[in-house]
Amino acid sequence: MMMDDFIQKLFAAAKAAGFTVAEAYLTKNDSFNAVAMNQEINRYSSHISCGLGFRGLFGGRMGYASTEAFDDSAVDWLVQGALDSATLCEDPTEPFLYDGKEPVAQLPLTGRDAPATEKLAFALAMEREAKAYDPRVTQVGHATVFTGNNQVRIVNTYGMDKQYEESVCGAYLQPVAREGDSTATGMELCFSRDFDRLNAASLAQSAARLAVEALHASPVVSGCYRVVIQNLAMTDLLGVFSSAFSADSAQKELSLLKGKLEQSIAADCVTIVDDPLRLDGFASRPFDAEGVPSARHTVVEKGIFKTFLHNLKTAHKDGVLSTGNASKLGYATSVFVSPTNFYIEPGNQPFNALLAEMGDGLVITEVDGLHAGANAVTGDFSLLSKGYIVKNGLRERPVEQVTVAGNFFEMLKNIRAVGSDLRFPEGGIGSPSVDVGMLSVAGKNKEDMDT
Amino acid sequence: MTNNFNDVLDAALATGGDFAELFLEDNRTHSLQVLGGHVEMINSNRAHGAGIRVFNGLNAVYTYTNDTDSEGLLRCAKQAASAVSASRETPLRAAQPGTPASLPAPYPILIRPGDVNSKRKLEYLRSADAAARAVSAEIEQVSCSLSDSEQDVTIVNSEGLYVEDTRVHTRMACVAIASDGKEKQQGHEAPGAQMGYELFTERVDPVQVGREAAQSALLMLHAPECPAGVMPVVIDNGFGGVIFHEACGHSLEATSVAFGLSVFCDKLGQKIAADCVTAIDDGTLPNEWGSIRVDDEGMPANRLVLIENGVLKNYMIDKLNALRMGMPPTGSGRRQSYAFAPTSRMRNTYIAAGTDDEAEMIATMGDGLYAKKLGGGSVDPATGNFNFAVSEGYLVRGGKIVSPVRGASLIGKGADILLQIDRVGREMKMAQGMCGSISGSIPVNVGQPMIRVKKMTVGGRA
Repeated sequence: MMMDDFIQKLFAAAKAAGFTVAEAYLTKNDSFNAVAMNQEINRYSSHISCGLGFRGLFGGRMGYASTEAFDDSAVDWLVQGALDSATLCEDPTEPFLYDGKEPVAQLPLTGRDAPATEKLAFALAMEREAKAYDPRVTQVGHATVFTGNNQVRIVNTYGMDKQYEESVCGAYLQPVAREGDSTATGMELCFSRDFDRLNAASLAQSAARLAVEALHASPVVSGCYRVVIQNLAMTDLLGVFSSAFSADSAQKELSLLKGKLEQSIAADCVTIVDDPLRLDGFASRPFDAEGVPSARHTVVEKGIFKTFLHNLKTAHKDGVLSTGNASKLGYATSVFVSPTNFYIEPGNQPFNALLAEMGDGLVITEVDGLHAGANAVTGDFSLLSKGYIVKNGLRERPVEQVTVAGNFFEMLKNIRAVGSDLRFPEGGIGSPSVDVGMLSVAGKNKEDMDT
Repeated sequence: MTNNFNDVLDAALATGGDFAELFLEDNRTHSLQVLGGHVEMINSNRAHGAGIRVFNGLNAVYTYTNDTDSEGLLRCAKQAASAVSASRETPLRAAQPGTPASLPAPYPILIRPGDVNSKRKLEYLRSADAAARAVSAEIEQVSCSLSDSEQDVTIVNSEGLYVEDTRVHTRMACVAIASDGKEKQQGHEAPGAQMGYELFTERVDPVQVGREAAQSALLMLHAPECPAGVMPVVIDNGFGGVIFHEACGHSLEATSVAFGLSVFCDKLGQKIAADCVTAIDDGTLPNEWGSIRVDDEGMPANRLVLIENGVLKNYMIDKLNALRMGMPPTGSGRRQSYAFAPTSRMRNTYIAAGTDDEAEMIATMGDGLYAKKLGGGSVDPATGNFNFAVSEGYLVRGGKIVSPVRGASLIGKGADILLQIDRVGREMKMAQGMCGSISGSIPVNVGQPMIRVKKMTVGGRA
């Protein structure tokens, strides 16, 4: 009720200041996070927070401002800030707000949360199980369990007032394995809407196995290799380059896909989908950050680029309809475009069949340094990678301290096969394992082979 | 109000916690962007909230809220207290008594961001934008942005500490994209300081920012791919210091050291780097991007020698890990905002100036890579495996620079790389970055003189 009063005051002040339309985007977040170390809970945090992002049209321009304080000066802060913003903005596109009063799709986005004691026990159990898996697991870093509940509400002066609630819980850990002078880490994570679907033992064992299997890894000789990128690493790559599929990026000359609609941009076996209504991803939502209802879109169909992702503004500019991909980071940012559950559609080959098909080559299980080593604008990547050598379709030995380099857009065209093991590890980006053909790998020099 | 704070701390300790701390924050940020020559976005945000931390033996509970009136704070404190009783499993250890510290004087802030109107701020962006475009017709897109923040904090704890501070940060960024119609390459500059808008009269020329970003993009557009392999690498001063930040800095934070999760555990007093390497983490440099007058636990900043002539001297330690490690805290407790519990973090971290001649370094390196500008990187402190991107590199053949190269990255293990440094130049320079870790994203400086690494794995095209 207090928030409703605040919104009414805000809209009245906005109107008095000369805004023709106004909108409030509200978030409320309730979250919990605990980390176990050496069989103690060494970090524990919980909070409830809320924020309000305001935007409005003044003289045909959109102005933005936001706040977490709801005191007497907050209304003035928002209106004056948005006024300043709208007055000076020069965006040539005429912006507008969504006037949609259609009913909100009911998606089952919440599940059972657990009492704090149960969550603490889970974190401790993960650590225990990882150490019990193998005596070489000497420590477990970041044994974390978290839960969160998010509420989003959008209210505007057209009379739109929509909200939804979603909850998510998850856990991750990074066991450290040591043997002789070799140290290796493994990382596993698991997300769910329902706490009951998380399993401490299987998560911990799978992370511990990754760490142990990576012991005594070494580089390969630099050269071009046949490469299969495993689902989690492929998800990381797809995530970085997903912004190239945004109409906003294209309109701002930040995407190499500009002008490529209806052209072949990937191998025939590649289909990429954005589906906010899909429930096994974690970016599901009934409507986007502007209130536009969610819908499934095939972005790349058998290699052909079918559509950019749009919000109201980019769609208007291109003369199409919004795809419902308006997004905000929290309550505070202006509205931009981002994918929701965005994934490469799985093929029908199991992971082992991809390796058998490849014969000799490399499997990349993990890529690091994405924020600097991969550039969505240019498509270039050169990333520290971990994985293993495959001989005759079978795993041979672990590999570390190599980089794998290429260009994402060239790589899409060279994809030879897509696996059936689609996974959404966190957030909305998902991928199966993919046989990407040849990539450049930097490791040791030929002359160092015997040293 | 102080009385209220005491009630809040008492409530937080009601279930037997050993130490309680309240961190109150009000942070006004303003960001502006000029894209493609027009004003794309102006946004302002006021973040406001409080975090309450309670130590329970060696463990910590953290709660936070936006509701900072007396009732809201009490509610938040009670939530923390109930979590303490839920997670109490370890015996008590008394918190060390606080030493009331005299704080250094605040940095002079000559022109407060809140006093500069948006039109004036946009002028800086327009000059950077115009300078970038003027570099070449192949500069296809330019994005210039400015962000400033004024963060007021109050830190109170159950040891009697009461500290108020205001932190003012201003930073400009320019991203230029060069295109030949088929390919794109990007150049990037982002200078900032703990200053108001005197930044632009004292330190930063927007024209130069725009021009440098554009020149770098253009150079990379016409550069061949960097060859892959193991080779000697010369890394230039300024943002080149990110190599120390990633390869070593993170692994010297108590966040990993206290738990035996760092390759540099139990190495104090031992040689971990070549003799020519001395490394400092200094929070006291006036107006520097990563400086802190007082850390987010209320402790005054200091200058900390991490490595002296190759020997490990100090770790960076926050208050809680100080208890865990049985060592004093180093004024390194930092956090992005009230939404994060503080932990040990870097400030202005750099390799100190040496005595080697920069030209000689390249002339005697044989065949290798000269990394003039670096992008960011990351590290796994448990293994020391690090990586970072080279945003502007040059191929060196027989000690001579022969060609710019693109797409290079550098990887290695922290413990190895420090021993492989064989030259340290004379001119130390710092550059600004945002560092992400468990207590959020915070401003830090990285820095070094030009250095040479005998052997590194350079990622590129085979």
